[in-house]
Amino acid sequence: MLQAHSILWHYLWVAPNVLLFVLAIFAWRRGLHKQFPVFFAFAIVGSIAQLSVYTADVIPSVPAEVFWRVFWAGLLIEALLKFSLIGEIFAHVFGPYPSLVRLGRFLIRGVGVALVLSATMAAAYAPKDSPYWIIAGAHILEQTIYLIECGLLLFIFLFSAYFRLSSSRPIFGIALGLSISACVHLATWAVMANSGLHASQRSSIDFLNMATYHACVLIWFYYLLVPPKFATKSAVPIPEHNLEIWNRELERFLQP
Amino acid sequence: MTLAIVLVIAAILSLVFILRITVSRSLQVSGDFKLAGQIQPIDVEAFRNLVDLEEDNYLRRRLPPRQFRIVRRARLRATAAYVQAAGHNAALLVRIGTTALEVGDEQIAEAAQRLVHDAVLLRRNAAYAILRIYVARALPTWNLTASPVLNSYERITGSAMLLGRLQNPAAPVRIAATY
Repeated sequence: MLQAHSILWHYLWVAPNVLLFVLAIFAWRRGLHKQFPVFFAFAIVGSIAQLSVYTADVIPSVPAEVFWRVFWAGLLIEALLKFSLIGEIFAHVFGPYPSLVRLGRFLIRGVGVALVLSATMAAAYAPKDSPYWIIAGAHILEQTIYLIECGLLLFIFLFSAYFRLSSSRPIFGIALGLSISACVHLATWAVMANSGLHASQRSSIDFLNMATYHACVLIWFYYLLVPPKFATKSAVPIPEHNLEIWNRELERFLQP
Repeated sequence: MTLAIVLVIAAILSLVFILRITVSRSLQVSGDFKLAGQIQPIDVEAFRNLVDLEEDNYLRRRLPPRQFRIVRRARLRATAAYVQAAGHNAALLVRIGTTALEVGDEQIAEAAQRLVHDAVLLRRNAAYAILRIYVARALPTWNLTASPVLNSYERITGSAMLLGRLQNPAAPVRIAATY
């Protein structure tokens, strides 16, 4: 079942990308592309890029070297879009708070530099898992991209949690899906790039990656298209501290 | 292989943090009505006294250097406790304000917006202040000013009172121990 080119393998590679493309169409129809232009571009270009890699893989006449070139191109385009998407998430989460934007930008730049340095070091120390640089390089590049992506997203989550900021439902969903995908892919690519795995083990890891991405696309569907459950919202009352309570507190404070 | 293990652990920890934040976010929605009760009262006058430079200078003049350092450290510990309480209250008020933002009333939403802005600013200033207090505890002779926290807290109290009045005009509302 968990074999390359099995039915499940084809499904897990094609379905999430088709779904992502469909999501982009729905987003367009609902006008969400104006609110989240980078996510819209990511959904369109990312899905087309992945489907191109899939096509290159399944067409027997495509030589291995051409497949890996297509893979590299897709990887670089996706990386660019993902980092732009992180920028969009950051702008949506912290943009409404002018007092945080400057601090946030300063910190995320610092975190970004630290992550780039760490990723470079990790890439430098990673053993070559293939005699062909085009394959080994792709694995290390995947590890590098996911390390930086994962770190930046973690920073956004922690920073907004510290300030108890609540982002809008769609942007939270986009960030959540992207983060889950980044964390799982970081772990799997780290294993792939740093340990000599057999073909069957690599295949199992591929399945894990594809299944995770499928789940993330469904998360994006849920958060972008399913309307939230509206509870009857009434304002949380600000606490009432009457004089009696304060006097009691003061008396307790004044007594030795 | 060691590198792979390190990266896998880092990825798992990141995922756990993110999922924990996600779960706590969904729990927040149901627990918002209990928030107001978690606000810690803060005596602004006492806090003002603790961060008063004149008071510090007076103690510096009156006490021998060794004793001054001991007293100064104790005052800094108390200041840190106040600042942490102010930061904690600010975090709660961000959530209360955010919930109030979702209510249709324009006047309440405007007051809530101001409350959220002030609370976020206070939370940021409290983080800065805590850092400064820790530095000052290491170097007790260094002059410390935590007045941005105090000013923010006084402003935020005003914002919360305004929001409270708009939501419930009949009830007196206060989040600081002293006006």
